Amino acid sequence: MQTASSGYKATLVAGLVALAACQGEVEEEAPAEAAAVATELPPIEVAEGDGLPALLPAGLVWETNDTDPTFASPEAKRGGTFRTSILSFPLTIRRVGPDSNGSFAGPLRYNQLSPVTFHPNTRRPIPSLATHWAYGPDGRSLYYRLNPKARWSDGVPVTADDFVFAVKFMRSKEIVAPWYSNYYTERIRDAKRYDDHTIGIQGADPKPLPEMHYEYAFGPVPRHFHEPRLTTDWVQATNWEIEPNTGPYQISEIDKGKAIEMSRKADWWANDERYARHRFNPDKIRYRVIRDINVAYQHFVKGELDTFGLVLPLYWHEKAKGAEYDAGYIAKYWFYNDLPVPSAGMYLNTENPILADARVRFGLAHAMNFDRVIETVLRGDYDRLPTFQLGFGDYDNRSIRAREFDIDKANAYFDDAGFAERGGDGIRVRDGQRLSLRVTYGAPHHTERLVILREEARKAGVELKLQLLDGSSAFKTMQEKKHEIAWMSWSSQGLSPRYWEHFHSANAGKPQTNNLANHANPEMDDLIMSFRASSDLEERIALAHRLEQMVHDAGVVIPTFQVPYTREGAWRWVKLPEWLGTRTTGALFNPHRLSAGIFSSGGLFWIDEAEKERTLKAMDEGAALEPITAMNTDYRAE
Amino acid sequence: MIGTTLAPNPLTLKQWQRFKSIRRGYWSAIALGVALLLSAGAELLVNSRALVVSYQGEWHFPTYGDFIPGRTFGLDYDYETNYRDLKRTFSTRGAGDWVLMPPVPYDAFENDLKAGVYPPYAPSVASRHFLGTDTTGRDIVARLVYGFRLAFAFAAILLACNFAIGIAIGCAMGFWGGAFDLLFQRVIEILNNVPFLYVIMIVASVIVPGFWTLMAVMVFFGWTGMTWYMRTSTYKEKSREYVLAVRALGASSKRQIASHIIPNTISVIVTFIPFSIASGITALTAIDYLGFGLPPPTPSWGELLSQGTRHLWSPWIGGSVVVAMVLVLLMVTYVGEAVREAFDPKQFTYYE
Repeated sequence: MQTASSGYKATLVAGLVALAACQGEVEEEAPAEAAAVATELPPIEVAEGDGLPALLPAGLVWETNDTDPTFASPEAKRGGTFRTSILSFPLTIRRVGPDSNGSFAGPLRYNQLSPVTFHPNTRRPIPSLATHWAYGPDGRSLYYRLNPKARWSDGVPVTADDFVFAVKFMRSKEIVAPWYSNYYTERIRDAKRYDDHTIGIQGADPKPLPEMHYEYAFGPVPRHFHEPRLTTDWVQATNWEIEPNTGPYQISEIDKGKAIEMSRKADWWANDERYARHRFNPDKIRYRVIRDINVAYQHFVKGELDTFGLVLPLYWHEKAKGAEYDAGYIAKYWFYNDLPVPSAGMYLNTENPILADARVRFGLAHAMNFDRVIETVLRGDYDRLPTFQLGFGDYDNRSIRAREFDIDKANAYFDDAGFAERGGDGIRVRDGQRLSLRVTYGAPHHTERLVILREEARKAGVELKLQLLDGSSAFKTMQEKKHEIAWMSWSSQGLSPRYWEHFHSANAGKPQTNNLANHANPEMDDLIMSFRASSDLEERIALAHRLEQMVHDAGVVIPTFQVPYTREGAWRWVKLPEWLGTRTTGALFNPHRLSAGIFSSGGLFWIDEAEKERTLKAMDEGAALEPITAMNTDYRAE
Repeated sequence: MIGTTLAPNPLTLKQWQRFKSIRRGYWSAIALGVALLLSAGAELLVNSRALVVSYQGEWHFPTYGDFIPGRTFGLDYDYETNYRDLKRTFSTRGAGDWVLMPPVPYDAFENDLKAGVYPPYAPSVASRHFLGTDTTGRDIVARLVYGFRLAFAFAAILLACNFAIGIAIGCAMGFWGGAFDLLFQRVIEILNNVPFLYVIMIVASVIVPGFWTLMAVMVFFGWTGMTWYMRTSTYKEKSREYVLAVRALGASSKRQIASHIIPNTISVIVTFIPFSIASGITALTAIDYLGFGLPPPTPSWGELLSQGTRHLWSPWIGGSVVVAMVLVLLMVTYVGEAVREAFDPKQFTYYE
């Protein structure tokens, strides 16, 4: 679930990198293919104060990573077709521009590699298109050495020019992609070519080191393909054109409205790179359009799809049962991961006179019986989220526990806050004001969770009024800070938690910011600014721990639930490594690359043709095989 | 219902006799009346609060009035007593204290959840969930009964508002005619062409529709229905001789309408009442079903229906509400038919 939602920014990251325009000193050895288009790119326009040095700065420390453990299985076999489904046919196969952000954007964009990606277990940068990287002295620039082996799918080498061109391309009006144009103007300030395989990228603000890859690095854009097409007609002309890419798969067949097929490149340039070996195994991936999720499930059970996501309790407990499972034809996998967890919580608006009192907020937290919700309607499948942000490795403050359901503590806090009397309906009252709070939410299927919390909270004398709005209206209400309690969840990705948008006073008390609690605390402001400015990992981790503790102490967020796992069903012939997945695997059967927008975790499974024959034969004969239900809790947090 | 709205003159008696002679309408009216009476006192029949608690020789009647904290009965908490637990405690203790619970000991809001088993729970006499529970463990009987009461009240108030406005404006249109009539004809045509469901959806996406906001929206679009009938009836009646006569005697417009025209169009009004009630109930159920109705956790048939469609393998959810709905609408329709026939001056016409 988390992976799927990472789309927007993930894409950007997948598409990352920049490159610099070469000016005078450029081109002694421009590649022949690029020369056919144009030998020289004009320099990128930069704002005052921006711009990379003309010459590669002296004293750069080039880093690489060829020592972290590999995570794919050497037993993997290449071959076969992986059959999966999408809910709708894409409106275009362009990677940017109108209608390009649909359900097929992932497979397209994940096959456009970035200079570096992150190790799915150690969370450290690993080579992708680049072999080496270095950080500039200004704290906001990055330098990359590209892998000379890197090739576009049409055989053209990937060069620094493709990065410089990427900036020009993303800024151009012809692609009609305002978000990208803005990002590549406001956030990416310069890109420069130093030689064919050396580029520099400059971002807007200093960022801590490893995170700069995530913030500023971007992928190349095939100049030889787009430059001739980049006219006012670009959007129309490239709707169904297959753009050269750098990843393992390329589209090989488009059956409009019905299916799309991607094929493995036989001689993919990265086949033997350390972190790509034994990965991306199926020869073909067939995306079939099945417009209804229940129908797709029926196709899966019939063996027409190879895998199916079973995260929802309804599927895992109710639907994923029956002969195919008992006879071992379909395997069930339950895999705990350690990804950034969406910040699901009740955000208490401190501008509300009742909630301004910290004692009321603490009392409220102790009056929420999340365990009962988990044990009943969530079927024990969800976990309580202990902190506001979680899943960032060392940044997590694991010493914090969410305030537990405890009526005595809640009563004590409420009594202390002056809500000592109960009215005739059992709800507490202070000077004629009832302890009644409105919970604004936008997901109809959360009602069943809230009605249980509501009934339990009455025991402590607090009334929750449920305000179910349409999803976008709910978010609008919260953004306008018209809520009392906002029941919502922030998606979360990247390498470290974020505090500024949620808790800095600069975002308190005004609409259209993410500080839903309207929390303002000068001491916290200082820490947040130090956290943002610091590029020292130890210091940042220490600051993040303190900030998380302050969030807890302020009691402005009551963290709710987390789903720290993926659950999937797969036909017996789809094999996984013994360890099933990596620490940051968001989906076990993701044929591509990234989870949480940055971790290179996909493509570990393979299709075992011999096993497939055996299984199909057993099905014909009605013979049972050994059932497979695997669970991996290696990465389950304590 | 009928008898009270009319003065007991010979004609009325005749209509009443006629109504009574239509058996299924008559019995439906009685059944509905009983159901309404029972639902009015639902707190005594379907409730998590006990009817009577006898504790240390003192009697408590918790049904109506303020909540009684657990401490009153020697329990260790300050929130509302769980009377089902109390009953168990008293009976194991055997100190002469006792609790009398209503036949269905659940209210429409509490989640009766069991450890290790997941709702919805199937119907069970042992647990006294006679129709099972919904997906959050709330008793379906309780949801149905309180939902029925609410839907009926809603429909009745809606009817009163719609009729008050519709009759007033319809009569005025027919009585005055001319520019007033023309103006309101256009207004009504415009209102009739606004897609009412979309308006509800828009309203529901911006605010949480409460009982009265929903009512306001539905009255805003609903009053137009009666106007056409009242307008034509008034046109017809006002040119009759008895009206001309009272006008010649100097009666004011108000008196002409209130004392002469409306009483003579009463059959039109009465005939529409049952059908309006039925459409009020269905309308509320429909918008609840779609999720634009009363806010959760209000007990509502529409919400139960939508749960039922999402949990088809728990047939007691959908089944209960469908049966209840069919029964109530059928009875209301039978009553409506009978009323229409009783008020029809043409004795021997048959309606299909």
